[in-house]
Amino acid sequence: MSLLRTENLTKSFGNLVVTKDVNLVVQAGERHVLIGPNGAGKTSLVHQLSGQLKPTSGRIFFNDNDITGAAPEHICQLGVGRTFQKNNLFKNLSVRENVRLAVQAKRGKWYDPLTLTTRDRTLWERADAILEMLRLGGDLDRPVRNLSYGEQRQLEIAIGLAAEPKLLLLDEPTSGMSPAETERMIRLIEELPRDLALFMIEHDMNVVFSLADRITVLYYGEVLANGTPDEITNNTKVRDVYLGVKH
Amino acid sequence: MPAVSRSLYGYAGLAIALALVPVTGDYVTGLVAEVLIFAIFAMSLDLLVGFTGMTSFGHAAFFGVGAYVVAILGAHLGLNGWLGLIAAVTLSALAALVIGFFCIRVSGITFLMLTMAFSQLLFSISVKWRDVTGGTDGIGGFKRPSLFGLSLDERSVLYYVIAAGFLLAFLFLRRLIKSPLGSIFIGIRENEVRMRAIGYPVQRFKLLAFVIAGAIAGFGGALYAFFTAFVASDVLHWSQSGDAIMMVILGGAGTIAGPAVGAGIFLLLKNFVSSHFEYWAMVVGIVFILCVMFLREGVWGFAVNRLSTWFKRR
Repeated sequence: MSLLRTENLTKSFGNLVVTKDVNLVVQAGERHVLIGPNGAGKTSLVHQLSGQLKPTSGRIFFNDNDITGAAPEHICQLGVGRTFQKNNLFKNLSVRENVRLAVQAKRGKWYDPLTLTTRDRTLWERADAILEMLRLGGDLDRPVRNLSYGEQRQLEIAIGLAAEPKLLLLDEPTSGMSPAETERMIRLIEELPRDLALFMIEHDMNVVFSLADRITVLYYGEVLANGTPDEITNNTKVRDVYLGVKH
Repeated sequence: MPAVSRSLYGYAGLAIALALVPVTGDYVTGLVAEVLIFAIFAMSLDLLVGFTGMTSFGHAAFFGVGAYVVAILGAHLGLNGWLGLIAAVTLSALAALVIGFFCIRVSGITFLMLTMAFSQLLFSISVKWRDVTGGTDGIGGFKRPSLFGLSLDERSVLYYVIAAGFLLAFLFLRRLIKSPLGSIFIGIRENEVRMRAIGYPVQRFKLLAFVIAGAIAGFGGALYAFFTAFVASDVLHWSQSGDAIMMVILGGAGTIAGPAVGAGIFLLLKNFVSSHFEYWAMVVGIVFILCVMFLREGVWGFAVNRLSTWFKRR
């Protein structure tokens, strides 16, 4: 059974069609990478999957629930986590509080106005475990704005994981990173639990081919090709419009 | 000193200081009581402005509803003041639920204008509905209740009730902002988009913050009615909302004690300057401008930051 499925997903802003009849399937536990030249509509597609943008037409199913046009918080509660292309963190809060807040969204008592958050050890322990998984160490009580750019990218993923998703949407986790940082980030992503499905936008072809079980190529909002890394490498259409440009 | 016992000493010191105020005589006690009432009002506004990131310019609506409910129910129906107080908190929360329902759909300047419009709507009702509210002449004839056989007409009893009300609001808000619910409010202030992306129904929590702030403002308004035994339409005027914003910013938005300190500074300036100088508002304005320019974190925020670096150095 597919975990995520879209049917003829279309999004337009006036005459500009950013997503056109996209039919996409992500299987449970699959590492699916979305590639495409700049302006192909990759981020717009992710925004629709996670509820930040409402599709114009078509449907999105997650675990056979119709989540088309549902609110982001609802989609997250169902089990779709996400990260952002541009760091989108709680900059003035501590590193641990960033993750604790996300853990609390899944496991906490939201409406409790009288207990101190410091008392609820289970949330902090879970937050620390996630931070450790993402290799974020040092003083975790410092505000996020004092972290390096690369560390903030790692924290993006930590927050996305805290919601205990079955599918994590990663919007260019290595964007803006140095080659060394990119290398580190790939290893972190590789180490994520295998039962977690990933749907990831990526530009760096080394990253794409080292991580992907399956690749979808988006071109002007349309799916140009979809297949295993080998199939994509040998696809002439893809070579012409996308890989060809690079080589 | 561990943080817990330090704040415990702080609370004890505050309670003792408040308890000793009546020794200073009626004039000062009355002034402090007024400061405490407006401190409740300003602190409740700061829950929105400083903690949830919603700049409301219509917070007087809930203070006014609280004050009017006590006065109207007392004067027209002869309802006991304590029941009036409960009704005031309930109805101001209800008013905040209705007004908030519309206002939280927008944010920024639009939110600010919409909250102001709603409070001005209530203001015009209070002016026009003379039979019930007494219009600009106000409504009196409300009898203060008594507590354990002691009438609140006694100035010191009245003061202690107000001081207790202030401590209650202060402790509740201090607790709230360190609770799971409070952490959600702060998260919304910091990054609304991310809060939704990690699974929080942000709109619901904004409305909840609005209702809690409205209820506490209504509580302050009810105590104000106890204090003056007279309520006129100016409690609902937009300038009342503006005063509260000034108190919050003077003292320091995003702290609990800050707005209380701000209320103190504002009302002391108003009281002392106005007895010597007709244009007291100008002096308050200058202080406000200086504060915004040079003390961005407010007087209290500045003091706390200074003290904590000073303690660290030693």
